[in-house]
Amino acid sequence: MNDSKINLLEAPFELSYKYKRSSGPVMSKFFEGLSQKKIFGTKSKAQKVFAPAAEYDPDTREALTEIVEVGPGGTIESWSWVNSPRSHHLLKTPFAFALIKLDGADTAMLHMVSDCDESDLSIGKKVLPVWSENPTEAITDINYFILES
Amino acid sequence: MIQAGVIGVGQTNYDSKRRDVSMAGLVREAIDKAMLAADIEWDAVDAVVLGKAPDMFEGVIMPELYLADAIGAVGKPVLRVHTAGSVGGSTAVIAASHVCSGQFKTVLTVTFEKQSESNATWALSPRYPYSPHINAGAGGYFAPFIREYIRRYEPPEHIGWKVAAKDRQNALKNPLAHLQIPGIDEKMVSETPMLWEPLRYLESCPSSDGACAMVITSEDRVGSRNVAWIRGMAVRSEGTLSAGRDEVNPQGGIDCAKDIYQQAGIQNPRTEIDCAEIYVPFSWYEPMWLENLGFCDLGEGWKLTDEGVTAMDGSLPVNMSGGVLSSNPIGASGMIRFGEAALQVMGLAEDHQVEDAKISMGHAYGGAAQFFAMWIVSSTKD
Repeated sequence: MNDSKINLLEAPFELSYKYKRSSGPVMSKFFEGLSQKKIFGTKSKAQKVFAPAAEYDPDTREALTEIVEVGPGGTIESWSWVNSPRSHHLLKTPFAFALIKLDGADTAMLHMVSDCDESDLSIGKKVLPVWSENPTEAITDINYFILES
Repeated sequence: MIQAGVIGVGQTNYDSKRRDVSMAGLVREAIDKAMLAADIEWDAVDAVVLGKAPDMFEGVIMPELYLADAIGAVGKPVLRVHTAGSVGGSTAVIAASHVCSGQFKTVLTVTFEKQSESNATWALSPRYPYSPHINAGAGGYFAPFIREYIRRYEPPEHIGWKVAAKDRQNALKNPLAHLQIPGIDEKMVSETPMLWEPLRYLESCPSSDGACAMVITSEDRVGSRNVAWIRGMAVRSEGTLSAGRDEVNPQGGIDCAKDIYQQAGIQNPRTEIDCAEIYVPFSWYEPMWLENLGFCDLGEGWKLTDEGVTAMDGSLPVNMSGGVLSSNPIGASGMIRFGEAALQVMGLAEDHQVEDAKISMGHAYGGAAQFFAMWIVSSTKD
């Protein structure tokens, strides 16, 4: 057989399916809170506050059921500047992905900081959330954080 | 070999939709119950082994990492097992092997499925290019094997109905079971629609949410606890489309059963095993597996079913819990068989307890009837 005569076929194959997620009582409270412009964390027996809320303490393994409100302000723990956002990014102007420790929390939350220049950012800077006016009970109910003036 | 035993079994209640819990909450519910039953704290757990069916079922890739906090695996060795429908059984065998190795004293093992968050039939039947979309699901795959069994041995049609009714009657004595159908009988089964000829609707397993966990420990850590001693355990696999493969009576199942009987010193499983939890997702698999597991000769399995031998009050009760036909959180379904076998010899099976059960069998199969996992547990160590 002369291989050069073989028509090598290629066909599209898209694997997709709509899953469902049951958030359970703790994470339901967290996402519902966002739609009401509140940020909830969970507190362990040792008074450690996880925000965003966690269902289980990774160190003590205890189930975390005590809900506490944190923030809405927080502190930048670390950040990475995105100078030229791409089509898949939620923000179209330059912004930073940042780890933000919300006031009253012991852990950091990943979100975005915008409406600022790269040179304005530093570890330890205080930030405040900008809330969406069309909440959907999702982490995107916070559009992004801005530097506290 | 180091002796290992089950000291705690924990099961969630099984239902079509456990919307009250997240995936993490579901697995933790089973773990909490198993650890309470075993009377151990987290510091006693040396390793965690998690099993579930394909990641595509819930769309969570590497669930052992996603669930690390909930299963208490942070800072401990963790292993994930996946062997299709048999996974609950092979996960138990692998967890017990960790203890028998001497490397780990106490192992926590958990399996789950949350079918309400996905669609298993879809995940088993993707739309591949160049072929029509069959979308047959497991029932469509196994129906031809069942047809061949019926052709070989000419059992009467009501055998399938009888298994389906018997397992659902047993489920009425198990408050955790998903399907609770008061008044279930052969007639009711026979009047349900044909799904995958010759399987009718009520001859098929449901889709369930649920989790099952066990604590397995070494002899020196048992203390005064109630224990189901693991007397034999094995897994076997064979290729989906191997030439000469007998799908009705797979060699992998025959070999796996012989292996565990030999380990446990069982000469005659029919008389020496007091009861068994066998993976029967479709009614006819009870007689088919009775033969494959050597409880009787080929072609005789349906007679045991017909004579009531496998009923709660028979001499070899099978699927006292209601079986896979009553609850099917796929990834957990095998471990439920293994855990229920343990509960029987621990005397903890409550309303579906077989009186004086001393030796029981847990069995699971998966894939295209090609993956097998089994164990024998006993109330005594030797």
